[in-house]
Amino acid sequence: MLVQLLVTGLALGSMYGLVALGYHITWATSRTMNFSQGHAVMVGAVIAWGLAVAAGWPLPAALLATLPALAAFGALIERVAVRPFFRASSPAWLLSTIACGIIAENVAQLLFGKDARAFPSSLTQRPILVGGAGFYPQELLIPMVGLGLMALVQLFYHRTGYGRQLKAVAWNAEAAGLMGINVPRAVMAAYALSALLAGVAGVLLAPLLNVAPTMGTIIGLKAFAVAIIGGLTSAPGIVLAGLGYGLLEAVVAGYVSTGAREIVGFGLVILVLVVRPWGLLGAPPARRV
Amino acid sequence: MARAGWGAVAAAALLLPLATSNTYYLYLACSVGLLAIVAAGLNVLAGFAGQISLGHAGFYALGAYGAALAATGLGWPLWASVPVGMVAAAIVGAAVGAAALRVSGPYLAMVTIAFGIIVEHVLMEWVSLTGGPGGIFNIPKLAVGGSYWLIAAATAVTLWLTANLRASAWGRALLAVKSSEVAAEALGISAYLARTTAFTISAALAGLAGGLFAILNGYISPDSFTLQTSIVFLLALLFGGLGSVAGPLVGGVALTLLPELLTGLADYRLILYGSLLLISIYGLPTGVVGAVRSRARRHAPHPALSPETRGREAPPQGKGGDAAALLEVEGLGVSFGGVVALSGVTLTVPSNGITAVIGPNGAGKTTLINLITGYYRPDAGQIRLAGEPIAGHPPYAVARRGVARTFQTAQPFDDLSVVENVMIGVAGARLGHLGGALLHGPGTSRRERALRARALALLDAVGLAPRAEEPAASLPAGLRRGLEIARALATEPRLLLLDEPAAGLSPTEIADLAARLTALRSRGGPAIVLVEHHMDLVMAISDRISVLDYGRVIAAGAPAAVRENPMVIEAYLGVPA
Amino acid sequence: MRRRLSALVTVCLLAGAAVGVTAQSREPVKIGLTAAVSGGSAASGEAIKRGLEIAIAEINAKGGVLGGRPLQLVVRDDEGQPAKGVTIARELVEREKVTAVFGGLHTPVALAQVAVWHELKTPYMGAWAAGTNITRNGQNPNYVFRVSANDDDADKFLTRYATEVLRKGKPGLLLENTSWGQSNEAGLTKWLGQKGIKAVGIEKFNWGDPDMSPQLLRLKNAGADHVVLVANAPEGAQVVKSRAKIGWEVPMVSHWGISGGRFAELTGDLSDGVAFLQTYSFFGKQSERGEAVLKALKERYGVKGPEDVVAPVGTANAYDGLHLVALAIDQAGSPEGAKVRDALENLKTEYKGLIKTYRRPFTADQHDALTDADYIMVVWRAGRIVPLAAK
Repeated sequence: MLVQLLVTGLALGSMYGLVALGYHITWATSRTMNFSQGHAVMVGAVIAWGLAVAAGWPLPAALLATLPALAAFGALIERVAVRPFFRASSPAWLLSTIACGIIAENVAQLLFGKDARAFPSSLTQRPILVGGAGFYPQELLIPMVGLGLMALVQLFYHRTGYGRQLKAVAWNAEAAGLMGINVPRAVMAAYALSALLAGVAGVLLAPLLNVAPTMGTIIGLKAFAVAIIGGLTSAPGIVLAGLGYGLLEAVVAGYVSTGAREIVGFGLVILVLVVRPWGLLGAPPARRV
Repeated sequence: MARAGWGAVAAAALLLPLATSNTYYLYLACSVGLLAIVAAGLNVLAGFAGQISLGHAGFYALGAYGAALAATGLGWPLWASVPVGMVAAAIVGAAVGAAALRVSGPYLAMVTIAFGIIVEHVLMEWVSLTGGPGGIFNIPKLAVGGSYWLIAAATAVTLWLTANLRASAWGRALLAVKSSEVAAEALGISAYLARTTAFTISAALAGLAGGLFAILNGYISPDSFTLQTSIVFLLALLFGGLGSVAGPLVGGVALTLLPELLTGLADYRLILYGSLLLISIYGLPTGVVGAVRSRARRHAPHPALSPETRGREAPPQGKGGDAAALLEVEGLGVSFGGVVALSGVTLTVPSNGITAVIGPNGAGKTTLINLITGYYRPDAGQIRLAGEPIAGHPPYAVARRGVARTFQTAQPFDDLSVVENVMIGVAGARLGHLGGALLHGPGTSRRERALRARALALLDAVGLAPRAEEPAASLPAGLRRGLEIARALATEPRLLLLDEPAAGLSPTEIADLAARLTALRSRGGPAIVLVEHHMDLVMAISDRISVLDYGRVIAAGAPAAVRENPMVIEAYLGVPA
Repeated sequence: MRRRLSALVTVCLLAGAAVGVTAQSREPVKIGLTAAVSGGSAASGEAIKRGLEIAIAEINAKGGVLGGRPLQLVVRDDEGQPAKGVTIARELVEREKVTAVFGGLHTPVALAQVAVWHELKTPYMGAWAAGTNITRNGQNPNYVFRVSANDDDADKFLTRYATEVLRKGKPGLLLENTSWGQSNEAGLTKWLGQKGIKAVGIEKFNWGDPDMSPQLLRLKNAGADHVVLVANAPEGAQVVKSRAKIGWEVPMVSHWGISGGRFAELTGDLSDGVAFLQTYSFFGKQSERGEAVLKALKERYGVKGPEDVVAPVGTANAYDGLHLVALAIDQAGSPEGAKVRDALENLKTEYKGLIKTYRRPFTADQHDALTDADYIMVVWRAGRIVPLAAK
């Protein structure tokens, strides 16, 4: 039973981490984030479903076409809901991203339909049985792809020129602007990347969770919790927190009860923040006096 | 104009039940009231104290279940059961606030979201008490007409209370914390206490609305208290206008009626709802009330200072300034991330006169001020004020002992008017009774008048009286520094630390500053520590000078002696003299 | 005058809310629907809406009610939120002047609305929510009727099937963590108790949960010899997938939530052999009325076949309920709520419906038109619903 809980926990946890990394990326570059990040998860799954299942494209082509669409979705959110309020002191971006999420969900409902649909995958046809328990191959694929992507993102930030530019914006947007970096474009790129990661999580989860216009809400929320307890400013912290949260959920659901899962999970979020106000590996903002 | 507006709202509220017996409209009006009450509470937290909560559905639920359980379980009458819910929400709110308000921004948003979700799930799991997902029914309820009057009255009282709070020392303290936590603490205000108070008030008001919700419907279940509900609460406030007293009511009306107007659109409803929200955020980034107000302000004449508010400046009284050495700093050291910022700094400031601290850029002057005023914690050494150790005390505690300061970049509270800025200094930590502030008792109005008179007198002395009613944000840089000094002096400190007060001032303004500081000294004002780069100013008005370089004191003494010191010349010119 | 004054005031207050319907002789008789048509359970609201629309089209094609007045449907989205539901209840009656209202999937919404129907004297016809005390609500006169399952009856039926047909005695209950699950926990415990049986385990899950194997494993370890499932299609599918994951070949007996055609799509062949309670199935040989409804579903909504009918119970219940309400309106001779209510309780015309033939479906004591005598047990087999036993 434990093996199975670990597999399920790691699969979900790595997806929490992947989505949470999206919060981190936009927060670092712009001190804003998409409060409807969960909807990007849904958009990824819905587009991939539309191409692969409804339109009958071969899976690789459908997946390849989904990626730019996701990046465009992220860029659109940035353009419509974030950039106009980038410098506003009020948290208008919070409101506007929520509004965008409401619209996205409703549009998906009109185009996709109101009920959950299956996303067939050869990796969820038959479970692998281990003793008295088992798991689907997809559950093994998910953390591998997830962790691989997270590593790629880190490489991108540390090893490529454009990644370094984004990092410079994260450090100090004003100075980066003076150095000739196009800050608004960097923020847009951050949003595109953020939506891309969330959407890939949606595609990966679709065969397990089915596709529905509301599928992203809970994942988005838990990923936010993960981003916060990991530390919004720390990518490694978020990855660890994601895996940890997924495992915790699986173990609590497995050995206590599903009802206790949310209470324990979110209780732990509060506890972590009381003990470490800026997350497990996050750095407190410098106190400017 | 505002008065006429409120009159119209009150008249409409009184006339509605006479004009229609349609329970749909009355029920909608009740919903508006409930939303306005919660939003008004959130306004105290977000609009005044600057912290956002996405978990107020949790407090709403506590109020509703508290009232419902008191009414059904204990058989208490309505007037007793609603306060039960409110008190329950307030107590939990104080506890959650105390735990959560160590963090802010998205971190606080997450703590509050987590709280709301935990409440929702506890309501679902604790079946024996809460009835589980099925909820509690058969709560004794009022007919819609009766509920209407009750909720209308509660809404009116809530808005009145928050208006009073805004106009009180407590309200100004909350806004000061929102505007600049650092500057507020320098005036003796504990940001943590202020925020926890705001959180508790907002939780109590959400609880009140929750209790009224329970008796309006007669049935409650966890479905009414989800994250979605918390988001609607916050949307109503942001839509109406953060920080304004009328904002919650406007937001309550809009967020209740907007979905009703779209209700016939069925499948396209949410698209339109989202788009309207988005458009309104574009058009009204500061909310409806904010937009109306900024338009009104453009047409309003400059408020002139009336003769009777003009006062003569009372001489500042130094408190207990007999001790020869007011401030003693001994062997003070601090390093940040391995870089030594100060080491072995020793400095004595007598209880009167002007002590200058000079040194090249990066010598550690501002760090010294931050250590003395409690913003940094020293790694080594002692700081004593009038013989008592103060090292490591939090800034507001140091401020309460009579230490005032200004900042390198002036930090007036931009959301407040000029006179209110100074009133915060005059009141300092003495915010008065919170209940008095909410109810605006006679003692409170008397105190307010005294605070205002004193603040205007202080402003008059720095020539800012004509701009007293303007928002501090509208002042030019030079006047912002003047305002900050006036605000610091308003606390009647015995020690005043000025961090580069002349930076960015014109020669005439610097001359004014010099004259004001020497006048302050000659009147027996506070001891002054002056950190400054303008050597002319320093040499002209200082009684003593300490020179810092690379985090150490390299010279100290009278101006003339320091000027000749070879080490000082080397430090400044980079060549051995 | 008073009406116009009130309109004026409300227009001022409600920023231009559209009000006022002028009376005309051929004025439509309005029927309301309060259900979730957005969000996670939007499909249920959509299914009910389809049933109502088809029945209304049939009735209007034959000249409507009350000698020529057409029926008109007014749909409102309650989002599954009780407070919203109460607002909608008042709006439908007070502003839209509906004659009767149909309800959706959420038991809490239906419970919250009960007092409003009583206060505003408007009959309510439940088309889905099965909470026992929605109809057995203690109000007199009782304005709440239902053409849908009643959990208490359904649980009796399921218990009987498990103990008498399957001959199993160690049930493990797997329920969704909602008021519907709660209502069935009470019902199942009661009826099992009457047979001297105690469930070996009671497990719950939340909407949207990705994996139910921990719950199933606990039931398995507790020694359950069959699982009684109370779930809607998406979560039911996760249960079946999780059952395969832990390799547990246990008989499954389900409430009707998994009856939607999508359940087969979501589970593939993993759902084979899952038995469940049904009021109506569009699979298999259809009655004349069944054929007509299926045809209408195909024409109006592009449904390809029975496997594409998303939530057949909602459609079937709403369809029959609407016909019963139309008959009651004609019998009452007036669209007035109180009279229609009285007529519903004493319906004289026999109605040959989709689910069954209704002869005096409601009485003062019985406000559920369907009881355990009307349920059938069916089973999923290769993506199709196959009846198991005669009633």
